[in-house]
Amino acid sequence: MSEGRATVEIAHGVPTIAVSTSSTLPNRTGSWKYIQPVYQDKTAPCNAACPVGIDIEGVMNLLRLDRVEEARELLLRENPMPATAGRICDHACQGSCSRARFDEAVSIHAVERMLGDLPGVTRPAPPRTRKEHVAVVGSGPSGLACGYHLARLGYAVTMFEADPEPGGWLRFGVPEYRLPRPVLVREIERIRAEGVSIQCGVRVGVNLPWEDLSRFDAVFLGSGARARESFEWEDQGLTDVRPGEDFLHEVRAGQRGRTGRRVVIVGGSDTAVDCARTALRLGAEPVVLFAGAREEMTADAEAVEEALREGVRFEFFARVVGMQVSEHADDEQALEAIRGMFDAPEGGATRPRIVGVACVRMQPAQIAVDGSRRTVSIPGSSFVLPADTVLTAVGAEVAGDVLPADLHRRGYVLKVDAFGQTSRPGFFAGGDLVDEPRTLAHALGSGKRAAIGIDRWLRTRAGEAVPALDEPALRYGGSGNMSITRWRGDDPVRRVNELNEVVAFDQLNMAYFRHEPSMPDHHRAPGESGADFGESNLGLSRDEALAEAKRCFNCGVCNDCELCMVYCPDVAIKKHPSGHGFSLSYKYCKGCGLCVEECPRGAMTMTREGL
Amino acid sequence: MKKVIVGNHAVSWGVKLARAEVIAAYPITPQTQVVEELSEMCASGELKARFIKVESEHSAMAACMGASMTGARAFTATSSQGLALMHELLHWSGGGRMPIVMAEINRALAPGWNVWTDQNDSLSQRDTGWIQLYCETNQEVLDTTIMAFKLAETVDIPVMIVLDAFVLSHTAEPVDIPDQKDVDAFLPKRVARHKLDTGNPQAFGALTTPAVYMEMRLRQQEAMEDAVGALEAIDAEWGRQFGRTWGAVETYRTEGADLVLVTSGTVTSTTRHVVNELRDQGQKVGLVKVKMFRPFPGADLRRVLAGVKDVAVLDRNISPGHSGIFAEETRAALYDLPAARRPRVHGYIIGLGGRDVTPATIEECIQKTRDAASAAVPEREDVWVGVKS
Repeated sequence: MSEGRATVEIAHGVPTIAVSTSSTLPNRTGSWKYIQPVYQDKTAPCNAACPVGIDIEGVMNLLRLDRVEEARELLLRENPMPATAGRICDHACQGSCSRARFDEAVSIHAVERMLGDLPGVTRPAPPRTRKEHVAVVGSGPSGLACGYHLARLGYAVTMFEADPEPGGWLRFGVPEYRLPRPVLVREIERIRAEGVSIQCGVRVGVNLPWEDLSRFDAVFLGSGARARESFEWEDQGLTDVRPGEDFLHEVRAGQRGRTGRRVVIVGGSDTAVDCARTALRLGAEPVVLFAGAREEMTADAEAVEEALREGVRFEFFARVVGMQVSEHADDEQALEAIRGMFDAPEGGATRPRIVGVACVRMQPAQIAVDGSRRTVSIPGSSFVLPADTVLTAVGAEVAGDVLPADLHRRGYVLKVDAFGQTSRPGFFAGGDLVDEPRTLAHALGSGKRAAIGIDRWLRTRAGEAVPALDEPALRYGGSGNMSITRWRGDDPVRRVNELNEVVAFDQLNMAYFRHEPSMPDHHRAPGESGADFGESNLGLSRDEALAEAKRCFNCGVCNDCELCMVYCPDVAIKKHPSGHGFSLSYKYCKGCGLCVEECPRGAMTMTREGL
Repeated sequence: MKKVIVGNHAVSWGVKLARAEVIAAYPITPQTQVVEELSEMCASGELKARFIKVESEHSAMAACMGASMTGARAFTATSSQGLALMHELLHWSGGGRMPIVMAEINRALAPGWNVWTDQNDSLSQRDTGWIQLYCETNQEVLDTTIMAFKLAETVDIPVMIVLDAFVLSHTAEPVDIPDQKDVDAFLPKRVARHKLDTGNPQAFGALTTPAVYMEMRLRQQEAMEDAVGALEAIDAEWGRQFGRTWGAVETYRTEGADLVLVTSGTVTSTTRHVVNELRDQGQKVGLVKVKMFRPFPGADLRRVLAGVKDVAVLDRNISPGHSGIFAEETRAALYDLPAARRPRVHGYIIGLGGRDVTPATIEECIQKTRDAASAAVPEREDVWVGVKS
């Protein structure tokens, strides 16, 4: 016996206290149970909420271990454009983050942006393992995503872009201060590096007949929705009333963008806010008119916040009822002087000019039967907002005229199945051509879904076996977007008894988390950022983003915290020999459920199965 | 260093000076201040102990047991319903021979709901294998707290320090607080005789068959018997070092007394005052204070009470259907005396549920004893004093 070791003295033939030196192994407490725990990795709410279909939780878990390169690879499996999405996606993931119920949501977008901005690793394009060749029409986010995923699946991909440069709406529709050109260029280079060939200046259906695409084995349509619903006052020959998209396009194309000093923007979309902030940077005084409440705008709430900080004026609950026009504008001279700073409109002073926008105040009415809130005008509340230019941002429709006429439609959009296939076999579609919210995330997600659809279709056509996964099994939580990793069946993350169900907040155990507020993005000062087109939101540093990632609860997924092992009163839980996860001895587990109760992230379940 | 502190804080200071390593407790009036002060001492770093907040007294004792089995010096405090909730684990810690120290602030048990003092809560735990030490003053509380750790660790039996709710727990008195280095010399770090040790895997408290259970109880009983002498030795050592001794049993002006009052807790101070007054009037009245209730110092009581004519035991407690508990124990202890030297024992039930015990209450007990002494047979075993007729 070593020195200092406690010894139990014997008297009356017994020690001081009841001592047993045999082990508890003969006591098979497992026979007592009528219910037992299982390890069961589930789906985090962020994964299910992401329209791109990213294993966000998996990325966060790798970052928790500072495995930054692997985290980036996991992200790039599902999203080819993290630097872009980290900046301008409306991050539905954060809206669903369970941490928001505890303190504040994890700043997922900032983590994604940091990973997207990491210097790239140059490596050869994946080998072309498929003989088929796929055409992608349009190089907006849906086309880029579809081409990227197809190339990574081994297909040859040729992309046709009508504009001189690729990027689609990302290039012409998003202002420089939100998405700097070099960021977009790097992202597209990453996609090219996967072996996607992009041919610019080719408008399929105009300078390349649709029939020429018959040499391809499949086609993805991602040509977007550049044409728009008409705004009733645009048709009155008023050149001062213009689509906001055109204005943004002009500015992105390097033109000054024609506006007067007083710019009224009509609408509540991202485009409306982009127009206002762009006009502000050009020296104008923008006012955004929106018929509803601030929270009803479809624009990104943070972008609205930034616009307000920069000095954009918003008129909520205000609706346009008419344009005030004058042959001779009152302040003609002053206006001309200011217009001289911009491109002077053609036609000179003789043509009718906007001098103001007639508006009426709105108020919320009762909730409609379908749950939507309607607004009604307040009698006698009309007012005039002085204006030199009106930019409209009220929606876009599909540029249907150039698409093959035989494709079935539903309203403005193409009819597609769950995998994005149109009514013509081998023709798939995504992005703004299909019936989904017109966001970057949905575009990237629909492109990926179509890539899976194309792979499935081509392999079936070639008589090959395809994964027998039904559609919900491919979708995160059964209803999120599809995972190409699940389709490929090569998940680098080891999962235990995976259950494709979203873990709710009340399945987590908050006792094991500390309150720790989220780190807000860095911004340039409003006075500074409102004056030029340099990026206004500066994101987070690498270390700050890593700290954010470590705030993740890892909902539903075992991250080896070992609490189950610590609490097991029967010592029935051991570290798994692989180094990840645990092995549970049912011979000794008596089914008390402590492990399940204590698991902070709902990665264990009590079950009667197997008993 | 002298400080004016309440009884509860005298406990906290004692625990701090004893360098307790783990404190687990759940708050209850009137005990709360004890652990409140300790939690602040832990938070400020002046006491390097692990303070564990728990969800019940049952868990508090469970945490102390776990800590004690790793060799740590563990402490808790409670009162009344909290102590009752701990009951099962008092047997575990007593039978498991874990030298835990607990401060027990005497509070009446519900119903009716009552936060004031009486001794039924601690006395209900008489048979759990815990040493019980009743205190009269805040100085005694502080000194006893430190000695309690030494006593517990000497005989491997847990110790309960008992003090009256409010009358002592919330009453401020000047207390001499010894220097840490002197206390360290008196009470070195605990050396556990048996503890959890991964280098020597053992399980404690496992199934014990009829073939050995009785011997284990015998050993517990022998250790309890040893505790009387151990307290005497520790008390003497304390006296040598700090100039104060308390004794398991203290006599006060018993020389030549024909009537001796037996008391415990703060009633003792009031009784001292009455004894002084009656002695001034020429009455031969004395006082015996019982500090140690378990193990019961029967031999000491026989020694100091032999030959006294009448003994009046003041009980701030009642064993329903029987009698006051100190009276019952005193009667049993004195029964072994030869009949000629055996006093008559009169029991008085006083001050239950925090009812004031005044000099008049004690004088009434004395008068009733005098009256009963002239009768051939006492009217009844115990007399309730100060109750409405």
